[in-house]
Amino acid sequence: MTKKKTAVPKKMSKPSSHRHSHGQGHCVDLLRQLSAYIDDELPSNICREIRRHLGACPNCEVFIASLQHTVTLCRHRPAPQLTSVERVNMRRAILDAANAR
Amino acid sequence: MRATAPKTPPQQPAMREPDEFDRLYRDHVDLIYRYAHRLCGESESAKDLVQETFLNAYQGLKDFRGEARVSTWLYTIASRACIRMRRKRKGEPEHELSLEEFVPTSEGEFRLQIPIDGLSPEEALQNKELRQALDQAIEKLPRKYRMALVLRDMEGLSAKEVGTIMGLNERAVKSRLHRARLFVRRELSARGITHRDDHKSGGLRS
Repeated sequence: MTKKKTAVPKKMSKPSSHRHSHGQGHCVDLLRQLSAYIDDELPSNICREIRRHLGACPNCEVFIASLQHTVTLCRHRPAPQLTSVERVNMRRAILDAANAR
Repeated sequence: MRATAPKTPPQQPAMREPDEFDRLYRDHVDLIYRYAHRLCGESESAKDLVQETFLNAYQGLKDFRGEARVSTWLYTIASRACIRMRRKRKGEPEHELSLEEFVPTSEGEFRLQIPIDGLSPEEALQNKELRQALDQAIEKLPRKYRMALVLRDMEGLSAKEVGTIMGLNERAVKSRLHRARLFVRRELSARGITHRDDHKSGGLRS
């Protein structure tokens, strides 16, 4: 995150997956910022650089899509609810425990 | 949450607390159960955590100064209770997640996908395999990362609120959240769940 200015190169090589350069650090630097990008916490110039990189780097584009999907699924993961009987029983148990202490 | 002089006359403390507690319980038990279930992953542990949370809240209610939102106060109590309960049960050892471990080492790994394109999240989560994979991935997360993910991405709190609850600064919250998301993403995509043809019966369309 401290390398925001240099994290994503302004000009990428050809968008060929065979020349993908994550081993050389460009995409690794991008990976560090993806949550901040998804959460819209980055300055506009950094976002622009990231979008430019994504347009030129299919692997990173797929990667960020899968991370975005992960966040979306987490946000919509269903949670079970208590029944009214469970609510009543738990309240009683809590008050019993409180009075016993 | 710190002790302070009671604001109400001391002559009827026994009457005041149960009334306040009932209101607190009625208004927040569903919220805290949902949080507890997301942290614990199953119902019985979640109920234990809810009871421990409200028991602590009952005992601390007279000292609650209202500096934080009530829900933040309860989230904090629940989070601390969760940590204590897991220690007692000698739960999974905590380990750190480093960013390096999420760097794909092959192109195929980089391009692993989660098959929800063209579906709403609700439709995607009708896929039992995907739903179970998500549950298991979250369950596998070390607790401190799971807590950040649950509070931020599932409970929808701000990074600042999560920091208040977990006793962290925002930067640390975001760092944990990012690692947690990368962990879940890797777990989900590595399962190789594919689009299915049984969308009409709840699966994913191809």
